[in-house]
Amino acid sequence: MTEGPNRPLPGGPALVAALALAGCQESLPTAATDELVRGGVAVEVILPFEDFGTRTRVYGGYGRASELGGGFVAHAFGSGTGGVQEEGGLEAVTLLRFGRYPEFVSVSDTTGTTRPDSSLTFLSGRIAARFDTLSSVLPGPVEVTARAITEPWDGISANWEYAIDTLRHHVLWSQPGGGVLEEIGSAVWDPSTDGDSLHITVDSARVASWADTLNLARGVHLSTDHPGVRLQMRSALLWLETLPSINPDTLVDVLADTEATSFIYDPIPRIPDGSLRVGGAPAWRTVIDLDIPNTLNGPPDLCEALGCPLEITETHVSYAALQLTTHAESPAFAPSDTLTIDLRMVMVPDILPKSPLGPGTTGITGVALAPQLFRPPAGQIVEVPMTTVVRDLLRGETSDGDPVSSTVALLSTFEPLSIEYLSFEDAVGPGAPRLRLILNFSQGSGG
Amino acid sequence: MGRRIPPLATLFGLIPAVLLAAVPGGAGAQSFLGYRALGLPVGAAQARAVALGNLGIGLPGVQVNASDPASAARILFPTVSVSMQPTWGDFNLDGQTGTTRTTRFPMIGIGYPVLSAEGTVTVSLSGHMEQRWAGEQDRVVSLGGIDVPVNDRFETNGGSSVARVGWAQRLGDRFALGGSVGTYIGRIDQEFQRTLDSLVVGSDVRSYEENSSWQYGGYTFSAGFMADPHDLIHLAGAVEWSGDLTQEPRLETGEPGLSYSIPLRLSGGATSRLSQRLHINGSFVYQDWSAARGFEPGVVSDEKLSYGAGLEMQLIQRETRSFPMRLGYRHSALPFGYRDQGAVETSWSLGFGVNLVEIEGVRFGWMDFAAERGTRMSAPLSENFWRATISIGISSS
Repeated sequence: MTEGPNRPLPGGPALVAALALAGCQESLPTAATDELVRGGVAVEVILPFEDFGTRTRVYGGYGRASELGGGFVAHAFGSGTGGVQEEGGLEAVTLLRFGRYPEFVSVSDTTGTTRPDSSLTFLSGRIAARFDTLSSVLPGPVEVTARAITEPWDGISANWEYAIDTLRHHVLWSQPGGGVLEEIGSAVWDPSTDGDSLHITVDSARVASWADTLNLARGVHLSTDHPGVRLQMRSALLWLETLPSINPDTLVDVLADTEATSFIYDPIPRIPDGSLRVGGAPAWRTVIDLDIPNTLNGPPDLCEALGCPLEITETHVSYAALQLTTHAESPAFAPSDTLTIDLRMVMVPDILPKSPLGPGTTGITGVALAPQLFRPPAGQIVEVPMTTVVRDLLRGETSDGDPVSSTVALLSTFEPLSIEYLSFEDAVGPGAPRLRLILNFSQGSGG
Repeated sequence: MGRRIPPLATLFGLIPAVLLAAVPGGAGAQSFLGYRALGLPVGAAQARAVALGNLGIGLPGVQVNASDPASAARILFPTVSVSMQPTWGDFNLDGQTGTTRTTRFPMIGIGYPVLSAEGTVTVSLSGHMEQRWAGEQDRVVSLGGIDVPVNDRFETNGGSSVARVGWAQRLGDRFALGGSVGTYIGRIDQEFQRTLDSLVVGSDVRSYEENSSWQYGGYTFSAGFMADPHDLIHLAGAVEWSGDLTQEPRLETGEPGLSYSIPLRLSGGATSRLSQRLHINGSFVYQDWSAARGFEPGVVSDEKLSYGAGLEMQLIQRETRSFPMRLGYRHSALPFGYRDQGAVETSWSLGFGVNLVEIEGVRFGWMDFAAERGTRMSAPLSENFWRATISIGISSS
């Protein structure tokens, strides 16, 4: 007999461990049958504004036109179609300021060797403007004129009336819309042949004068005299034609810095009466005070199935959306391209309009609204999902335990997003906002 | 007994690990049977009994067996035994087929002899009923006049166990009595989830989830005997009485608690030695659920009698070790069917034991293995399973 009483059995524990590991993956038996899943009650509830909201307000002035990063050029846009008809439509001009010129350029000398050349002679310039061909509204080829600004102006705060409009410093233009101007040149932009680019030549004298970066009056004023036009400019560059000293037979194009891109416009939209507003530059926000009910007394199907009044909690809310009715307001500011909006909680409503906001609730892209929804006669219903907000309000806190606010703001996903804004019917009237809820209740399931 | 008991360091290292693993896993049979009631009962939990087709009573030898109250009477040293059961199954429900897989730890037993009183204190935790299954159904609901596809899923996970404390008393060399008091414990978690089609409803749609959790409670008492009226015969019997099994909500959902009556359970078993190395055993359990309260009509099965039998042969018999081979058949009456048909589980089993330290028929360290091939039937449901049972025990000073 070879084994002794003290000799352990080596394979036993290993076998147990192997079996344990082999069986540790769990897999539930799952079958598709009504017997095992009795299901529940799903119901759609549309609440009128008075059942979920108490007040709406519209605030404006968020951000500056210069923060848009582009510009607008418009003349008598929207006149004769209502809205700003009395004022003759929308007037908008783009203001540009170019900065320091390049101090050297690498060029090939007569021997073919590339060398830096800091002794440059600037011969002329060329303003290259790129327009948004989709959002620009124009009947055909449009002549755009570049003029030189002659009065000191602020690239951040300038507006139609003021060249400088900061907190403690206000300087009026000598005449609204850019003050006294000097002609630079003009060009016709025809998207069908030019694509999205427009080029205007700048003479050498103007190029030389703009080299003085201490001159706060330097700048370009882009406008049009073509009525009914609204162009959205995405970017503008100043190309300089220069003659290098080491190879005088060669002309080199170099790019000047762009210090400021902004736009000014007239008239400034007034606070709306009878409508809600989102967007614009500076931007508008619509603020809504909510009072989400935690019991329901309808609809009849729901009451019949589960009895009423029926308490609802956040778990019952599978979907919630604010239904807004589009409103055709001023054609001068009507959207010509898709705009995106978001809905966020107003965390300290008492200090509106400057309250901090909660995180966005509609995702990175927001809710995209097509421009045709806002064309007369409008009246289209659009939905802004707010499931998170409603669930958080019913819970009394966010899912992370943070505080919630029953005041929400509708705003563009970025402020400002465009000079255009969106209008919706206000809380009075048949087009008042509504709350669409999809609620689920189980009737007890399984065994 | 003058011999020195060998050390069992290997097993002492393994058992805590298995115990640790057992705590979170709990019991987990997987069956649709009893989905409207308490689920599927946990059968014999020790590999030796499983291999022999035994129903947990009437096997000779030193052991702590929750369903055989007197079986621990002859324990000489503190004893711990634990079982593990990985299961692989498949089902056919009205033509739908699927597979299942799980591991459960159906029994942990401890016996502590009090030599001065010639008895043993027993503590055990054993599975009672298990409920683990899921149902799914695709539906279309109308919301505001629009048909919206939804997917409903209901999942239930958990079961009840019994924690017992008992005493087994030797009365001479051939007779012993035992009794225990136990409490039902355990929980069941249920989740209903409805997923709406976001393409129809909207991008911000959330699944609806409803969770409920129930906690089991109640008391049970059992008493039994074992006797060796002859050197070749071992007998045992037990009766178990339970109060109502209560099911109370663990969450504040406002749902009322539930209560189920558990019928009296009678069990008995016998083992006879056919030769020096060959034993035969038989056992039965009688439990009539037909009058049990608290269940929906048609849920309770008419089946009452379970029985099993098996053979054990000592393939190798050494001075301090033995290696038995086992074969068994079991027919179990299940208390709850799928619909209104009775439910029966039958299985054939094969197993072997490794009695690491055995002196004069008393095991001090053992590992038992059993493999079962079984079938459960309750029209329109049929389930098949392969189940392995591994039990480890230590009895050492």
